[in-house]
Amino acid sequence: MTSDQDSQEHKLAEQLKRLLLSIEASGQTVLSGSSDALLDSIVEAAARIFGAGAASILLVNEDEQVLEFRVAYGPAGKKLVGTKYPLDKGIAGYVVMTGQPIATSQVSKDARWDREFAESTGYVPESILATPLLSGDRIIGVMEVLDKIDATSFGIQDMELLGMFARQAALAIDQSEQVRKIEEALILGLKRLASSDLKQDSSEILSVLEDASHERAGMPDLLELARLFGEISELGESERRACIQILGVFANLRRPSARRFG
Amino acid sequence: MAEEELRPAWSQSFTPEAIQQLDAVGPFAKITPAWAWGRSTGKGLRVAVVDSGIEHDHPAVGRSVKGGVIVEYDSRAKDYYRIRPDDKPVDVSGHGTACAGIIHSIAPEAEIYSVRVLGRNMSGRAIQFAAGLDWAIEHDIQVVNLSLSTSLEEFFGIFHDLADQAYFKSMNLVSAVNNIPEPSYPSLYSSVISVAAHDGHDPFTYYYNPKPPVEFGAPGIDVEVAWNQKQYLVCTGNSFAAPHIAGITTLIRAKHPELTPFQVKTVLMACAANTHRRAN
Repeated sequence: MTSDQDSQEHKLAEQLKRLLLSIEASGQTVLSGSSDALLDSIVEAAARIFGAGAASILLVNEDEQVLEFRVAYGPAGKKLVGTKYPLDKGIAGYVVMTGQPIATSQVSKDARWDREFAESTGYVPESILATPLLSGDRIIGVMEVLDKIDATSFGIQDMELLGMFARQAALAIDQSEQVRKIEEALILGLKRLASSDLKQDSSEILSVLEDASHERAGMPDLLELARLFGEISELGESERRACIQILGVFANLRRPSARRFG
Repeated sequence: MAEEELRPAWSQSFTPEAIQQLDAVGPFAKITPAWAWGRSTGKGLRVAVVDSGIEHDHPAVGRSVKGGVIVEYDSRAKDYYRIRPDDKPVDVSGHGTACAGIIHSIAPEAEIYSVRVLGRNMSGRAIQFAAGLDWAIEHDIQVVNLSLSTSLEEFFGIFHDLADQAYFKSMNLVSAVNNIPEPSYPSLYSSVISVAAHDGHDPFTYYYNPKPPVEFGAPGIDVEVAWNQKQYLVCTGNSFAAPHIAGITTLIRAKHPELTPFQVKTVLMACAANTHRRAN
C-alpha cells in the first residue's frame, strides 16, 4: 500500500471516528424502524472502511447457548444469516467469554474450530478482528470483520475503530429490543382494555415498562402511559374506543409489514 | 454541539514516531536492566492471572501453574458471587493461557495462580472481576496480571479501593488498557502499572510514556501466544502487552524483594528502551 493511500485511509478513519463520536455524544442513534437494515449498513460500512473481505454481527441466544448470525456481508453473505454457532467455540465464542476484542491472523493454520466451521460455510478467512457488543455489562453479541485486504492482519487502530462501530450496533440492537418490549406491553395493555377486565392485575405491564424505563433514559413517559391506561379504562365506551384506535395505529406502524423505513 | 476533541488512541503513544526520548540522571542513571532483573527467574514470587482460567498443562506454562480459584456470578448469593477452588485450572477461551504463557516465558520460576473470572456469563462480569482481584489481594500474591478492565462508572470506586489495598500490601497490579480509547478501570489509576501495545517483538524492549495515563508500551501486535487445547495463535491486543510487563515486574521483585510498588515502577521506567542513562 502506498503512503498516499495510507494517509487517505487514516484521514477517512479519523473522519469516521469524529462522526461516530458526535452521533454518540448527541445521544442519538440512527435507529429506524428496521434495525436489520441499519445493522446491514453498519457491517457493510465496516467491511469497506477496514478494507475487509467480509463482516458480520452475531447475537447471543442464551436459551440455546449459541451465537446466531444476525447480519453478514461478504462472500458467504446472506447464506450465513440465521446460522448458529456454539457459544463456547472459536474466536466469536472467545469474545463472548472474555468480553475482550481480539485480532488474530493465520486462522486457517491455527484455530481448529474456526477452520472447521469456516470450511463448512465455504469461506475460510485468514485474519479476524472481533469485538464484543455490550449493553452495560451484558454481552449481547459479537461484531467481526474478516480478511484484511492488503495486509496479513488487523492492527490496534482497527481494533479501536471497530469498538466504536460496535457501540453503535449495540445501541441499535438494544433500542430495537426496547421497542419490541414496548410493543408487547402496549399490545398486552390493549388486549386487556378490549376485554374491559378492570380487575386484571396490571403489575406485569408495569414491570415491563419499568424495565424499559430503567434500561434506557427517555422512557419514563411510558410509566405515565401505563397510568393513563388505568384512567382510560374507567372512561366511557366511545372514549375508550378512540384510545384503542390511536394506539392501534401506533402498533400497526411498528409492525414489520407497515414499516416506514424498511 | 461543540465538536468533541478526540482522545488519542492509547497505543499511539508507542508508535516509533511518537515515542519520546527520556533521560535518567543522578542515581536513576545507575539503574540498568542487568541490575534490575539480570539472572532473575522470578523464583519465590506468586503471580495471579485474573482472566479466563489457565490451561495448566499447556507446554507454554510448563509446571508453573500451582492452582487457583473460579469466581462465579450468582444473583442469589449475598455479594452476587461465589468462589471455589481450582487446583488444576483449565481455560474457557485461551486468553488467560496466552497471558500466563507470556509471563512464564519471561519469569520461568515464578508460581502462577489462575483466578478465573470470565466464562459463560453474559452479565455480572465486573462483579466477578472485582471479587477475583479481592481474592488475589487476600492470598499473598505479589504481582497480578489484569488483561481486562471494566468501563462501568459504578465500579470506579470499588476498583479504586481494591487498587489502594493492593498498593498498601506492596502488590503490583499490571493492567492492560482497554482496546478502545475510553476510560476503563482499574487500568487508569496511578498506583497501577498500565500497559498498551507496541509492534516490537523483543520481550524485554518496552517503552515509558511520560504522558499518562498509559505508562508502558510492550509487545502486543502480531505476537504468537499460547491458546487452549495446546494451540498457539498469532494475536493482537493490549491484553498481550500487559503480561510482558507483569513478567519483567516479577523478575525485578524476585531479585529485589525490598522494593515497594512505586520503586518497582521507577525501576521499570529507568530501564525502558527510550530512557537514556546519562552521567550527571
